[in-house]
Amino acid sequence: MSRDQASVRMVDVARLESGCRKTLAKALTLVESTRPDHREEAERLLGAVEKNPDHSIRIGLTGVPGVGKSTLIDVFGGHIINQGHRLAVLAVDPTSSLSGGSILGDKTRMPGLAVNPHAFIRPTPAGESLGGVARRTRDAIVLCEAAGYDVIIVETVGIGQSEALVSNMTDLFMLMLLPGAGDTLQGIKRGVMELADMVVISKADGAMQACARLSAAEISHAIRLIQPRHEDWIPPVLMVSATEQSGIERLWQLVCRFRKQVRRDGRLSEVRCRQAWEWMWTETRQQLLDHLKADEAVRRRMDSLKSRVLSGDLSPSAAASMLVAQFRKQADGPCPGDS
Amino acid sequence: MNQAFDADADPAMAKWRRQAAAERVRCGVDNQVWMTPEGIPVKPVYTAADLDGIAHLESLPGQPPFTRGTTATMYSTRPWTIRQYAGFSTAEESNAFYRDCLAAGQTGLSIAFDLATHRGYDSDHPRVEGDVGKAGVAIDSVEDMNLLFDQIPLDRMSVSMTMNGAVLPVMAMFIVAAQEQGVDQSALSGTLQNDILKEFMVRNTYIYPPRPSMRIVSDIIAYSAGHMPRFNPMSISGYHMQEAGATVVQELAYTLADGIEYVRAALSHGLQVDQFAPRLSFFFATGMNFFMEIAKLRAARTLWADLMDEHFSPENPDSLRLRTHCQTSGVSLTSLDPYNNIVRTTIEALAAVLGGTQSLHTNSFDEALALPTEQSARIARNTQLILSHETGIRNVVDPLAGSYYVESLTGSLIREARVLIDEIEEAGGMTAAIEAGLPKLRIEEASVLRQARVDQEQEVIVGVNRYPLERETPVDIRILDNHAIRKAQVGRLERVRKSRDKRAVTRSLDALAEVAASGSGNLLESAVAAARARATVGEISDALASVFQRYRAEPGVLGGVYGRAYEGREEFRVIQERVMAFARSEGRRPRILVVKLGQDGHDRGARTIATAFADMGFDVDIGPLFQTPEEAVSQAIENDVHILGISSQVAGHRTLVPAVMAGLKERGSDDIKVVCGGVIPQDDYAYLYARGVSAIFGPGTSVPEAALQILDILESDRVQEHA
Repeated sequence: MSRDQASVRMVDVARLESGCRKTLAKALTLVESTRPDHREEAERLLGAVEKNPDHSIRIGLTGVPGVGKSTLIDVFGGHIINQGHRLAVLAVDPTSSLSGGSILGDKTRMPGLAVNPHAFIRPTPAGESLGGVARRTRDAIVLCEAAGYDVIIVETVGIGQSEALVSNMTDLFMLMLLPGAGDTLQGIKRGVMELADMVVISKADGAMQACARLSAAEISHAIRLIQPRHEDWIPPVLMVSATEQSGIERLWQLVCRFRKQVRRDGRLSEVRCRQAWEWMWTETRQQLLDHLKADEAVRRRMDSLKSRVLSGDLSPSAAASMLVAQFRKQADGPCPGDS
Repeated sequence: MNQAFDADADPAMAKWRRQAAAERVRCGVDNQVWMTPEGIPVKPVYTAADLDGIAHLESLPGQPPFTRGTTATMYSTRPWTIRQYAGFSTAEESNAFYRDCLAAGQTGLSIAFDLATHRGYDSDHPRVEGDVGKAGVAIDSVEDMNLLFDQIPLDRMSVSMTMNGAVLPVMAMFIVAAQEQGVDQSALSGTLQNDILKEFMVRNTYIYPPRPSMRIVSDIIAYSAGHMPRFNPMSISGYHMQEAGATVVQELAYTLADGIEYVRAALSHGLQVDQFAPRLSFFFATGMNFFMEIAKLRAARTLWADLMDEHFSPENPDSLRLRTHCQTSGVSLTSLDPYNNIVRTTIEALAAVLGGTQSLHTNSFDEALALPTEQSARIARNTQLILSHETGIRNVVDPLAGSYYVESLTGSLIREARVLIDEIEEAGGMTAAIEAGLPKLRIEEASVLRQARVDQEQEVIVGVNRYPLERETPVDIRILDNHAIRKAQVGRLERVRKSRDKRAVTRSLDALAEVAASGSGNLLESAVAAARARATVGEISDALASVFQRYRAEPGVLGGVYGRAYEGREEFRVIQERVMAFARSEGRRPRILVVKLGQDGHDRGARTIATAFADMGFDVDIGPLFQTPEEAVSQAIENDVHILGISSQVAGHRTLVPAVMAGLKERGSDDIKVVCGGVIPQDDYAYLYARGVSAIFGPGTSVPEAALQILDILESDRVQEHA
């Protein structure tokens, strides 16, 4: 029996739910694993844990590298814990190095939370595919909630498609911007602005304070032109400074107000249901693609089509139709997901 | 362009070229230019044509820009100061050692403090359990300082103190100890390192954030300008940059850029440049690139004079004069075949002297293994005494002046360093550049590239990657009883706390915090009052931290540099394939947590390992600096790693590693394998293996070697579990 198989057996649901950190760590390893038998175990575990997410709040946080996400989480997280909550921090990192290995320095950047007994930080290695990263982050949220963490922060670097994914697995999506970002508002992807429930201007201290105030005003103005995600919630823009610890309390108050407001009339569970439905489709797409790519005949066909597409003899869409036709021919039998 | 044209036109040169080409063909050598790590091309021969356009050639010793030396007669009238850096755990032991050294011909003192003191903690603080007495002497209060200098006349002995983080309490206690000895501060001579900027770049023994740290620096400069005319308030240091892997050009450029930043800080304090600039001093490393190191000191003096003149136009020529201390390179020492280190140190010392240093520390040959013994310290000191008294080297000033090669190298270094200095200026000066993390990344990149060169034997280290010994002979080394040292230190601390006037202590600390908060008044002046009232290093540091906060770095780690240097190499491909095979069968990549424990901030090794392992396909977690064993154990368990790697440079392993092993066991996680790396004496290997450590990688282990061994451990672990 291999080491990880041994650890699979060790994920004791009762211990996980009692808040054992080591058990949670092992459970997270299980959902991170790419091995099919681990996946099955993971599904069983996820089915077995008690789902009582109503008491939790899931916060997504995005911003470009250097905006100060980790520093803010360290200070903000400390404040949240002082209010009597338990906090889990997960990271979605879609970047992968040449070799596929990752450098995980999150705890270095959150030295306060790293030693706080009420915080659990789990940096997760970059995956081969964004879909894989997203899947295990969703699973990780469920496991952290089962282990008694009632505030979950999912952090992502604001590049590529990761913001949309994270906003789709969280209740509240925060966008972090540097002071001065207002000058180049057109440079911020409109799509990201549309996802934001809250905009946080970081590093609003010292010489940057005036600049931050100007940015906040500009962004507040711009955000009114965007259709909000929740009709009675206009995304607030606020300034914070992790070094001066200013704006932190206000940020938490806003989070609480948001939570209260969207929970009225069971809207929060409505949102989560919709997310679950969308997630099912995302998963379906991903699994179909995985099966398609793993199919030997499709791969052979792909090789033969490649040169024709590259040389321009065959249009990409025609080639795609041929691949899908090939796959359907292969799959003409019991559906692969039916087993 | 011009000089190449001239050389081409010269018929004698053309003939030389043909001859050289023939010799290269005969010997099968095709490389005619040696590209140094700094990217300076070195040709096989230099001629007068290479001196074209070099401005400093006509200068004389003792005259600006001081290329040829700080004084007109240099060592012929005043030999360099033999200043050996040392500190032995306790004040009593260090004091006895210093007095022996002075009797044996040493001419100045250089105090090494322990890690707890550097970081502003008292010896009884729970975070420093493994650090007290490590790498130097523990100082908690002025009583320790009194013992340290017992019977050493401070009005006649120049004292250098390597202190950067806890500069205020340590300097204050030095001043008070002198006063209690009957010596007025105006009579004190020596140097305080007080160079905080480089701590943020490489050595990590800072306490407060960059900006309040700069205030401390300028307050000390101002205080000494007013009260201590013979004391150098700072030693602007490139040494630790080279030790951390910086190239000579980076060391030169960043050190001078730091210097400019300090001058600006002092000027903004209201001082005039000539009030303090003559007392600024420097500190460089001397490595094995012999002529480059000589040229570096000549280039440093020239550049400093030019920069000072350009930026600040001082009236006193002394403000243009760069005076420096040098130390032979610690990273050039090897733990394998260690007697070779005596030879290396001799060559490096010769380079420092030919470059015109004002004082010199020569390393002991066993410093890659442990702290020096009396025997090894004696050999190190005698290396300088022999150079000074037996070679005749002191009789001629700047003997390599006019060498085509050395002058050309000097010119190249000046030019290349200028480029980097301009880059820092464009970033808004050194404090801003450091906040942006620019120099740290540059140095780290150079360091990783050097590791790759050594691992690939492109750089030869005799006795390590070439001509290794079949069997290493054991060397006698000094072993510290960390627990006993700490106990003695804590006992004295308690006595001090009992016997002092508590209200006076509180008053003085409140006053200090007030000066820190208000931004007016001098911090050192207030610290002197607190030290006199018997406030401790920890209390003074905490009073300041209540206003300034303790600084926590957020280091980014760069990826890809090591891997690129290995592109296409078979051994690297083999490792990557084994990593992938592991990932396929386990469902995830091998995951390793790399930590440093205790207050030791030398993280070059840990960071190099982290980036190299990620490039080989491992998932690498990095622990924050200054972790306790318990924190490292928690992180290993919570991140669910396969391997916990501990990097140790300053002898903390005997206390801290067993604590880690016990912690893992207690939490039922001893399936996590522990490996150690860094400066660990051979004698301790058995001790660590007996406590369950799986592998130990000494200096000289190549990174691929370490990776293969770790993969072996992981794979055998799996086989065992299968059985």
